[in-house]
Amino acid sequence: MKMLTALKAEQMKHRRRMLLLLPAALILFEFLWALWSLEPRKASDLAQGYLSSFYLFPILNSLIYPIFLAVLVNRVCDMEIKGDTFKLLYTLQDKKQFYNCKYLMALKYVALSALGSWPIIWVTGRIYGFTDMLEPHMVLQLCLSTFIVSTLLLSIQQVLSLLSSNQILPLVAGLAGSFLSLFSMFFPPAAARLILWGYYGIFGFVWMDWDRSTRISTYYEQNFDWIGLLLFAVVSLIVYFVCRSIALRKEV
Amino acid sequence: MLYRCIQAENLKLKHSVIYLAFLVIPIIPAIMGTFNYMQNLELLKSGWYSLWTQITLFYASFFYAPLIGIYCSYTWRLEHTHNNWNTFMSMPVSIVSSYLAKLVCIMKVTVLTQLWISILFFIGGKMCGLPGIFSPEIILWLLRGTLAAVTIASLQLLLSMLIRNFAIPIGIALFGSIAGMFMTNADLGNFWPYSLMMLGMNSNQNEDVLSSFAGTASFFASVILFFLLFFGCAVWWLRTKDVRS
Repeated sequence: MKMLTALKAEQMKHRRRMLLLLPAALILFEFLWALWSLEPRKASDLAQGYLSSFYLFPILNSLIYPIFLAVLVNRVCDMEIKGDTFKLLYTLQDKKQFYNCKYLMALKYVALSALGSWPIIWVTGRIYGFTDMLEPHMVLQLCLSTFIVSTLLLSIQQVLSLLSSNQILPLVAGLAGSFLSLFSMFFPPAAARLILWGYYGIFGFVWMDWDRSTRISTYYEQNFDWIGLLLFAVVSLIVYFVCRSIALRKEV
Repeated sequence: MLYRCIQAENLKLKHSVIYLAFLVIPIIPAIMGTFNYMQNLELLKSGWYSLWTQITLFYASFFYAPLIGIYCSYTWRLEHTHNNWNTFMSMPVSIVSSYLAKLVCIMKVTVLTQLWISILFFIGGKMCGLPGIFSPEIILWLLRGTLAAVTIASLQLLLSMLIRNFAIPIGIALFGSIAGMFMTNADLGNFWPYSLMMLGMNSNQNEDVLSSFAGTASFFASVILFFLLFFGCAVWWLRTKDVRS
């Protein structure tokens, strides 16, 4: 079967499963959170509104993306597990192709969700009238880092989902990932790098200084770790192939 | 009859991986909370209470409800596969008993989770060198958290029954918990079921947020009303809707 045909078949399986609702819910939730937490209380907040958005989003992503990915992958992979259709499918379709199609399908929704941060930040800025500039390079850094970190986590979630007949393991992994990524922000930097789920925060490029006496927060941009992101993308690719070979070894 | 149904549900959970979630998830906040407490000893000076704030900071706010969500989704998964709904609905027992048996089993695991987190809390305290044992007030908070868990379990059980997917109810629980944090901050916690966990467990607070009579009464009223609402909805649905297997 050609890859394009296989993708079409996969797309047909997802009809009426309302998978688009997942990124839509995520984007809506991020928007509401942004509206709540970025509301300017002082004039100085308006002058660094967009900067504070770029500080907020990596933290927010650390909390919700691990669970979002677990839910998304479960929704994409669960139909074959529930229907017990692997044996039949593998006589019609190449195993690798099947795995790739599932991954690409999930990746589509991840890309949509990652890109969704851009309009959220823009609309929030328009509503509150932020006076600083929405820098395109910051939007690119946020969307790209969110997407690339998610590609690796997606591989892990997919292999867990395909191997687990009751789906409890991938969900526990997602929940534990959310937990660990939140807590990793309190770790020393070297220890935080051991937590894969925490890379949403590690690739954050806006930092904050909080003055205890004046109670004023000042945000500033740091150099984005492009080399780190590139290395992470390479690791993600390796993890993808490792996870695929593990998943394909499963006896059906 | 109810007892037999509970026995049947227990059989379904025997050797189940649900205990993996129950064992693993609470260890993470316990380790992290203890670590965080050790790092901030100059700021956190209230002993056991300060350690409590660190351990429950994210546990009660974000993760307890999804954990219950996992238990509930797992409990219904068997019915959602193949044609087991037909078997479930045609069993010679009342719907209320069948449903209540699931709730009782989830509460059993939830109580074990609370017990486990309290043991981890105690071990964490001892590792930090805290003297004696924690105060009975914290046991009360744990019990109140367990009571709030009944409400969340009844809601999650309803969601997992209606939604045939395993993961979506868990996602809803996470979003509900985050929304619950906002509701609690806006003093509207008693009107949102997912906030009850934070209120009950006195999460991230040194002083009891429910110390007043009005506060305690409204918390218990919310727990009972929400429980009756979700339980009633589930039983009504089971009695009136046909199986879609």
